[in-house]
Amino acid sequence: MSVATPALEVVGAGHVAQPDRPRLLRVSSLSVSFPGAEGRESEVVSELSYEIAQGETLGVVGESGCGKTMTSLAIMGLLPTGAKVSGSIEFDGKDLTAFSSRQWRCHRGRDVAMVFQEPMTAMNPVMKVGQQIAEVLVKHERLSKRAAFGRAVELLASVHIPSPERRAQDYPHQLSGGMRQRAMIAMALACRPKLLVADEPTTALDVTVQAQILDLMLELQETYGTAIQFISHNLAVVSEVAHRIMVMYSGRMVEYAPAEDLFANPLHPYTQGLIRTLPDIAQPMAELYTIPGSVGGKRPSGCRFSNRCPLADARCREAEPALREVMPSHHVACFKVN
Amino acid sequence: MLRYTFFRLVQAAFVLLVMTFLLFMLIGMMPGDPVENMLEGNPALTPELARQMRELYGVGVPLPVRYWHWLTAAFQGDFGFSSLYFRPVLEILGPALLQTLKLMVATIMLSIPLSLLLGAIAALRPGGWMDTVISFFAFASISLPNFWLSLILIIVFAVQLGWLPASGTPLAETPSLGLQIYHSILPVTVLTMFFVGPLLRYVRASMIETMSSDYIRTARAKGLSETTVIVKHALRNALIPMVTVLALGFGMLFSGALVVETIFGILGMGKMIFDAIRYVDFNLALIGLLLATIVTLVSNLLADLAYAWLDPRITLK
Repeated sequence: MSVATPALEVVGAGHVAQPDRPRLLRVSSLSVSFPGAEGRESEVVSELSYEIAQGETLGVVGESGCGKTMTSLAIMGLLPTGAKVSGSIEFDGKDLTAFSSRQWRCHRGRDVAMVFQEPMTAMNPVMKVGQQIAEVLVKHERLSKRAAFGRAVELLASVHIPSPERRAQDYPHQLSGGMRQRAMIAMALACRPKLLVADEPTTALDVTVQAQILDLMLELQETYGTAIQFISHNLAVVSEVAHRIMVMYSGRMVEYAPAEDLFANPLHPYTQGLIRTLPDIAQPMAELYTIPGSVGGKRPSGCRFSNRCPLADARCREAEPALREVMPSHHVACFKVN
Repeated sequence: MLRYTFFRLVQAAFVLLVMTFLLFMLIGMMPGDPVENMLEGNPALTPELARQMRELYGVGVPLPVRYWHWLTAAFQGDFGFSSLYFRPVLEILGPALLQTLKLMVATIMLSIPLSLLLGAIAALRPGGWMDTVISFFAFASISLPNFWLSLILIIVFAVQLGWLPASGTPLAETPSLGLQIYHSILPVTVLTMFFVGPLLRYVRASMIETMSSDYIRTARAKGLSETTVIVKHALRNALIPMVTVLALGFGMLFSGALVVETIFGILGMGKMIFDAIRYVDFNLALIGLLLATIVTLVSNLLADLAYAWLDPRITLK
């Protein structure tokens, strides 16, 4: 596995899509907005619809500020107070948007678990690692504290942490970054959730450790059959794990396709730009490509990417292109694609 | 840990030694002397007699020499006589210290839970109506002068309503615990009001910061109830910076007790130091101020030990 020099491996590196598995998550027309200054609302996620099948990995890609994290927090019911949500989120036949706070607490940690970006700060600094893992088991599986701690040690062993008995007694600051992320994964998988939301789980880690964590996630997915929503701004990392990939830009989905299709035939100018930004080992001296501009600031009228798009014309600045299925299971939102 | 504590105690002893010198010099530089006080109250005292008394008290001797005499005597356990009470200073100090400690312990035992509760509630929804009410109370507590609040409470509850006694000291020779508590209600209320305000502001700020940290989001993502998240995950982390505030607050409370003890006529440390300085009782003022130094040194040491106990990331070496 090579995360550092992925360009050669990118095409077709993802898993084969398995469309006939039963559906686990269906998000339809999800919008999330926050009250902004002067009574205006700022929409961070707009009309998002996608599905995840059982045991499948969906990669969510986009720059910072594209609404990737807000989407996953919506699935967890952990959006900050003040967030307005519309649309529906259906998980395993249940409508999450109708959940009471009590139902959410039963859902979080048991059906859906989350691994966060920053393993350094995502754990409580004054609580033993084993205790933090045991807590989930006490809550959802009604284990005694003692039994839960024993289970926590087993879980630490299952994520390949050496001498797990000792590590369970350690505090987070005594573990390295990679080990903490392993412990976070152990915590997330403690109750064998059906869906694991991994929000940039490898971004804060060293490249060699990144590869180990990705391997671990794939291994555990195979063992437990967990579906994964894998969020990253790094296409190379996503290509290692995802069956299907959703590219987001400024709160909208711009392209949605099986992983190998997306890399073989990227259609949206933004996706093409993202792939071009990857370093290419065949041309080591070439200057790295960057997409001009940034996501933040005022949204342009029409297509949200129009102010940075090399192909944009008058039509792109007037109307917003809808998502279309241009090839079997390959969706794109761009006027320039036939 | 033991080595660290030992080292800190040695350090504290050294600081204390330096403080005896500084305090001795400062008090020595105060205008007036005990003999002058006696002259004022007694016209029959002749200048010849005054000279003899000055010699007897050693007032004329240069300060550094007097300091040396005092220090050598102090190391033998002799801290001198009080010129105000005509008794060894330690005999006066003991009961006064006990009174002040009772007052401070009662205040602290009320203030800590109260500020934790109010601070945590205010932090749940910053800017909400609960926060507004609690913050208003906190600012009132910080702004109202001690002496003013004491007098207002005395006027309302002692004079007009007649529910509570205006004096902090029961008249009985050996007052029962109930009677002592009854007489302490007003002074303890004033001191608690004085202490809770700043304390709860710190708890609030610390809680708001803690509640927005990543590990609180992790705790919520586990499906834990909000109460568990706050009590088990947030409060302990939020408490760590509170230790410093408490240690510093100890000194503040000690000085706050001075005003409250004077108004409520409680014969505590505050009242003792106040009288000693006012009537130039050299030895008594010195031992009183030294004790205040010791309280500060000890509370700082305890704060450092508490840090290590609360936060596993800190090891004392």
